[in-house]
Amino acid sequence: MNNENIIEIKGLKKSYDNGKIKALNGMDLEVKKGEFISIMGPSGSGKSSLLNMIGALDRADEGSIKVAGIDLMKTKKLYEFRSKEIGFVFQMHNLIPNLSVLENVQIPMFETKTSSKDMKKRALELLKAVNLEDKINQKPTKLSGGERQRVAIARALVNHPSIILADEPTGSLDSKTGEVILNLLKDLHSKENVTLVMVTHEPYVGQMAERIVTVLDGKCQNIIQPPKQDN
Amino acid sequence: MCIGTIKGCEKKLIMSFLSLVVKNPFRNKTRSALAIVGISIGIIVIVALGMVTGGLENSTQSTLKAGAAEITVIQTGSSSFGSGGSLNESLASSLLNISGVKDTTGILRATNTSTTVSATTTNSSAGGFGAEGGVSITGIDASKLSLIGIDTVNGTEFTNTSTNQVIMGTTIAQSLNKTVGDTIDLYGKNFTITGTYETGNFITDAGIMMPLSTLQNLTNNPNKISDVLVKVTDNANVTTVSQSIENAYPNQLSTTTAADEANRINQGLSFINTASWAISLLAIFIGAVGVINTMIMSVYERTREIGVLKAVGWRDRRILGMILGESIVLTLLAFVIGTIVAVVGVELILTLSPSVGGIIKPSFAYDIFLRAFVVAFLVGVIGGLYPAYRASRLSPTEALRYE
Repeated sequence: MNNENIIEIKGLKKSYDNGKIKALNGMDLEVKKGEFISIMGPSGSGKSSLLNMIGALDRADEGSIKVAGIDLMKTKKLYEFRSKEIGFVFQMHNLIPNLSVLENVQIPMFETKTSSKDMKKRALELLKAVNLEDKINQKPTKLSGGERQRVAIARALVNHPSIILADEPTGSLDSKTGEVILNLLKDLHSKENVTLVMVTHEPYVGQMAERIVTVLDGKCQNIIQPPKQDN
Repeated sequence: MCIGTIKGCEKKLIMSFLSLVVKNPFRNKTRSALAIVGISIGIIVIVALGMVTGGLENSTQSTLKAGAAEITVIQTGSSSFGSGGSLNESLASSLLNISGVKDTTGILRATNTSTTVSATTTNSSAGGFGAEGGVSITGIDASKLSLIGIDTVNGTEFTNTSTNQVIMGTTIAQSLNKTVGDTIDLYGKNFTITGTYETGNFITDAGIMMPLSTLQNLTNNPNKISDVLVKVTDNANVTTVSQSIENAYPNQLSTTTAADEANRINQGLSFINTASWAISLLAIFIGAVGVINTMIMSVYERTREIGVLKAVGWRDRRILGMILGESIVLTLLAFVIGTIVAVVGVELILTLSPSVGGIIKPSFAYDIFLRAFVVAFLVGVIGGLYPAYRASRLSPTEALRYE
């Protein structure tokens, strides 16, 4: 494995429904450490399946996949890999409604043997970074869509992951809020030095990445380097 | 109050896995409340019946109290608790000649059905002893009170020569609101209560004691007794002595030992115990079905959330522990509520119904509550196991796709 690559995927295959649906059909992909890539493609092209494989939410049928130096085809403790290396941001924030903002951010730390004091310290640090320090005791139901997604971003970063996997993070937001969230993600990606892999079907969102990977029929079709944007 | 600021909210901010487990069951309050009510009913039955049967068992144990007579001698064919004198008073001293007999005393039992005992309480509700009410009165020699189980008297004993003195069991005293120094109307005559006693035996404690001669005169039973209480020597066998008495007076006298009496009551209690367990198990079964239903519904509703927990790195064991813990929280809460309701309910019923309260002194033995706790805990584990297993085995991708 190239030392600079945090994700190395070769000939990855995954099918569902007894082979009738080929979600990944020989996927190849390499992502460098600290890189921000967008995965684009039409519905059913295999974007989310690819994300699930990188995040170890599912196992591939064939091929090889190494993420953060771990062979996901072989390792048994996938939960440990997810806890240490991956931070998820979903389209629907997926916050736990009866827990406060702060508690939601602390949830991933339960598996990390972090003391209550340190859990609180880290969660507060991130909530401050996403400008929600004044809403720590509020329930997610009292927050706007953008605020909820900011909580989800803080939750994704709380365990110092190597990679953030964002699945349509702006899909349920209006364009203005979506832009705020994207800028926040991009900002935290560089500040926290994490690799950011984002699935999107919106071209303007994809343009914000350093590379755009187009997926079609379960394969990586082409990789585009978008023009540099002025901030 | 903590309104979303970091400073001053220190305590509120600390979160643990346990707090999550305690919070989660109350996301759907109505459903959880119904599950708790179901289990609580089972716990109420276990605790309430345990307190009542435990109280009766304690009372039975008191009939075997050291110092009290081990054998009661009655005329063949009469009831051991029957009223009136059918035996000659001299029989008590005659029985002293039988080998193994240490001490004897003749007693006369009577039931006073006069209705002038209390201004507010009729005799029919007094003490709860005696068919259709009436106050149970026993005539006995003051120096032989220990043979009936009365070791100490609060106040003073009556004197054998007195004609207007009685001592009273604490149960009937409480029931009639009488205390030492008060008077009581028996057979149309005023008696002074010189003392009260407590033996632990609900029958004895619901009665009144007076000099034997006084009761013989009042009931027109001169020199007559209804029973002879027999205390055996230390090394004698109670059954052997009992048999010797019956052999010495064939077809005239019958004997009952305290152990026989206790066994008879215990058999009845054993039946009540079995019945109470059957009722409890039924209630627990219904409650457990309620818990399983509640937890399965909860897991279904939170499928997506469980997917998120898996995505953020929670291991299957932690998810299993969380759901199982939530189930146990429900049943332990039901234990607390059920126990409180049972204790308050039993006390309330016994207070509002003196006739029942006179007989039953509820037991607060820790094993009753321990049994209820264990049942509640096990129902929590059994009820939560399947839903917890289901949740822990969910595939993260399928759970996250769940609508």
